[in-house]
Order: sequence, then C-alpha cells, then structure tokens
Amino acid sequence: MADEDDVMMKKIAQELRKPVPVSTSFDARVMRAVRELPRHARRRLWSRLNAPRTITVQPLGWGLLAASVALFALLGAMHASADINRVAKASANFFPKTKATTPDQRVQFVLVAPDAKKVSVVGDFNGWDAQHIEYQAQHRGGGVWSVTAQVPVGHHRYSFVVDDSLWVADPTAPRVVDNDFGVANSTMVVQEQK
Amino acid sequence: MSVVARALVALMLAAPAAVAQDARLVARLDKPTLDAVTAIVDSARAAKLPTAPLVDRALEGSAKGSDGRKIISAVKQLSVRMGSARRALGATATADEIKAAAGALDAGISANDLARLRAASGKRPVTTPLDVLTDLVGRAVPVDAATNVVVQLAKSGVKDPEFALFQRNVRADIDRGADPTVAATTRARGLVQRAGTGTKPSK
Amino acid sequence: MEGSSDAVIVSRVLRGDVEAFGVLVGRYRDRYARYAFHMLGNREDAEEALQDAFTRAYRSLARCEDPERFGAWLFRILINRCRTLGARRGRRAQTFVVDEVAILEAAEDHPAERTAWREEIDRALERLRADQREAFVLKYVEEMGYDEMSELTGVGVSALKMRVMRACERLRELLSEVHSG
Repeated sequence: MADEDDVMMKKIAQELRKPVPVSTSFDARVMRAVRELPRHARRRLWSRLNAPRTITVQPLGWGLLAASVALFALLGAMHASADINRVAKASANFFPKTKATTPDQRVQFVLVAPDAKKVSVVGDFNGWDAQHIEYQAQHRGGGVWSVTAQVPVGHHRYSFVVDDSLWVADPTAPRVVDNDFGVANSTMVVQEQK
Repeated sequence: MSVVARALVALMLAAPAAVAQDARLVARLDKPTLDAVTAIVDSARAAKLPTAPLVDRALEGSAKGSDGRKIISAVKQLSVRMGSARRALGATATADEIKAAAGALDAGISANDLARLRAASGKRPVTTPLDVLTDLVGRAVPVDAATNVVVQLAKSGVKDPEFALFQRNVRADIDRGADPTVAATTRARGLVQRAGTGTKPSK
Repeated sequence: MEGSSDAVIVSRVLRGDVEAFGVLVGRYRDRYARYAFHMLGNREDAEEALQDAFTRAYRSLARCEDPERFGAWLFRILINRCRTLGARRGRRAQTFVVDEVAILEAAEDHPAERTAWREEIDRALERLRADQREAFVLKYVEEMGYDEMSELTGVGVSALKMRVMRACERLRELLSEVHSG
C-alpha cells in the first residue's frame, strides 16, 4: 500500500511539475510597474566590505587638474513635465522627509579633465553615489566631460569624482571646507525657473 | 531573531511610509553608526531642525570612505552648527539658509557675523551670500575682511546672480595670482558702485 | 548580463540600472508562476501574486541580505503573497477553470486522458487546506528538503512533515474517490 501510495504521489508530483504558461505580456507588465518605483541609487555592495579608503588628492595632480579645469554650471529652464512630478512624488513617498513641492530643474555639470577615464557628479541630490546612472558625465571630446541631470530646487553640496577615486570640487562654484571628512565640496543654489 | 524571521518582519514592514530609518542609511551604515546617526536625526527633528542635511552628511561620509566614528562626529557637529545657525539667523530661517549657514560656521565665520548678514539682507534670502562668504574664507580671505565685503554687498541690494558672478570673478583673479583680499575688495567696490548706478556689470 | 549571477545583477539594480531587474524576472518567472498557480488555482491570480512579489522584491532590494540567494528571498516574498491572496479570495471549488493553454500544451500520447487526470489533480490540490497545499507543493513539486522549506516558510520541520503527510493522505482520498466513483 505504501509503495502504491508513493507511486501515486510521484505521478502527481510529475504532473504538477509541468510548466504553467505565463502571459507573454507578463515581463513587460512587471517592468512597467518596477519603472514607476523610485530608482535605487547606492554605491557598490562589495566596496562596503573593503577597508575604508583614504581619499587623497595628490598636490601635483590637484595642481594640474586645477590648472586645466574650467567649469560652469548652467541652469536650464524646463517645463515641469508629468514625468518629473511623478518622480518627485514617488521620491517623496520613498523618503518621507523630502517634500517635493517644486519641480526639479535640469542642471548641466561640466568638468574639463583631459586625463580622466570616468567622471561622475555626486551630491546631496543623489546620495553621494558615484555610480548613480543619471549622473555619469559623458566625454564630449578634448577633455570636456558633461552631464545634464535633475536637481531639486534649493541649496546643494556636490562634487565631481574622477576615475572613482579623485574628488574634485567645482573650481568656479563656491567652495565649502570640510573639516570632518577633509575633502572640500562645492555649493550651488538651484532656483526655480519661471 | 532568526535571519528568516527578521527578513519576514522586514518584508511585512516594507511599505515605504512605514520606514522608520532612511533606507539609504540602512543600506550603507553598520548598525552602531546607524543607531547613533538615527538618534542625532531624531533629536534634530524634535528640535525642528532640518533632518535631510544630517542624513546627507552621513551618506557623504560613507561615500568618502570614512569610518563610523568620523561619520557620527560629523553628523553631530552639523546638528550643533545648524542649531547655532538658526539662533543667529532667526526662527524664520529656511532650511537652505540653515544649511548654508552651517557651512559658514564650519569655515570659521562667527554667529555674530551671520546675524550681521541677516540684518543687512533684509527680506532677501542669505543662502547665496553665505555660500560666497564661505568660499572667500576658503580661498584665504581673512574672515573679517570677507564678512565686511559680503555684508556691504548685501546692504547695497546686490542680488543672487550678481553675488555668483562676483564669486567667479574673485576666483579667477586669485587664480591669476591676485592677493585674495585685494581681489575681493576690488571686485566688491565695482559691484557696489554698479548697484548704486543701476548699470549691469560686464562679464 | 544574462549569464551573470544574481548577486551581480542585484548590485547593478541597486546602483540604478532598473532594466537589469528584467533579467531576474525572466530567470524566476516560470518556476514561481508554477508555484503560484498551484497555490491559487488560476493563472490570473498567480500572475497577480507573482507580479506583486517582483515589485515588492524590487522595492526592498536593498534589504536582501544575501544577493547570491536572491531567488530564495524572492520565493519567500511570493509565498507570503500567495498566503495573503489565498486567504482573501477563499476557496474557489466551483470556479476553478481549466486553462485552455495548458490543455493545448499537453503534448502526450493520450492528451484527453492526461488532461482529465491533470484536472482532477488540480481540483484535489485546490481542496487541500492552504498550509498543507503549500507544504506539499514545496516538498513534491519544488523538491525541497525540509530544512530549506522551514527557512522559507518560517514553519518548523516537524510541523512541515505533518502537513505533507496529511496532504498526501487527503490527496489519496480525493483521487481514489474520483477513480472509484
């Protein structure tokens, strides 16, 4: 009896293991829902496991960079689109403290860094995440790197990170000392464009 | 609590509105640092100070590879400075002004100087003037000289875009070898004169 | 990216690459759709539960403690979704629908027989108590060990063994009825 029962269970299991078809639109529906959610933004998981790195700015390197860097941040006007409002609302829900009452503005960040392989913008608008996909500068040629990204209206601290290791403050923007972490940042005030 | 049970509890509480700690901090800080930072943030909230700058400061420290001790200290210091800033600027100070003022205090500008700037600016926000003042001090203009220059500009009714241009011009002059104090006072004089006559500065 | 481990893809998603999550969806969709279908009895509810599980997983992704075992973590979420949805909708004894696509896809020598047999199994499964059905499916269909099942469900091993045993007894009862009737 036990053997027969066992055989029966096995047959049942075999039948139930057959694949169950899923709608062809399933994946698209899931991704559509996921894209509506606030995008994740955090630095590499495994770098948390590394010993803390001391970020040093070599004097010579700094001098060369400072000499070759010219930066300007342009505030571009942009109509508040439904997309921005939705992102702002979603962000407000994800981080309840932030009240998205005015739309983000598009800000262009430019850095001249001829020897750089990678340039990213980090700041209090993206959790200081050098890997955030929306704040990766593109090389435009001749050592000019730029990215235009959404920045909320208000006061911000930010910096450039070159090659994931060198923190470079924006030389033409107001600078703020950092006695705690030892690396100066830049500040900017983003105004709402009317 | 087992790992599974903790995960299940965390999942059940996964609705964004129920997050008691900022998810980014949870992801980036170890538990002792997270707890200490959360306590500072909670105190600031109770004191009706902006809390976002404190969270951002912790994230910044984490991004810069600082250890937990330094991060806690930095967040604590910022919280203290924000309190001082609000006392100096008055209860109506905006979050942006408090942030900028905290940076100024860190650079060595006194609470008294903050109050002077507030008085000189009238109803205009002091956010940008504060950033410019902090920048001047950071470029080796002595605190007294820098404060006098910025207060004078504010009294003359200089607006934010002109303040920004002033800062860029001073920086360019210093980069070309000018004495920082001379550069600041010279550019300021020009701006005050233009503000007086109403002509637009040439770039 | 298709061949990358779960941990690598989770890492990318957490760094802002939303589209990378699609790889994980494709990777786990079929297996977990099957589980949800057995638990909830119809494809529509199964897809709803599974979609819900994926979006919850995305939202809580930073809390996934072991990204290498993302699949197990996702499964835990799905098990919970199925429990909640199953409890809300109650039994569907009369409304169980034979999935036409499943019928068409049954490529067997005696498709009519197999379909009928499959239908009976599905009905019998649906008539099990929810916790017994869950344990049975995890043990026999997902072919898990009791320790793994315990970790996923939060239920102790001996309780799970009891549930599986009762499920088998009940299924035998229900399916013998059919064949003797």
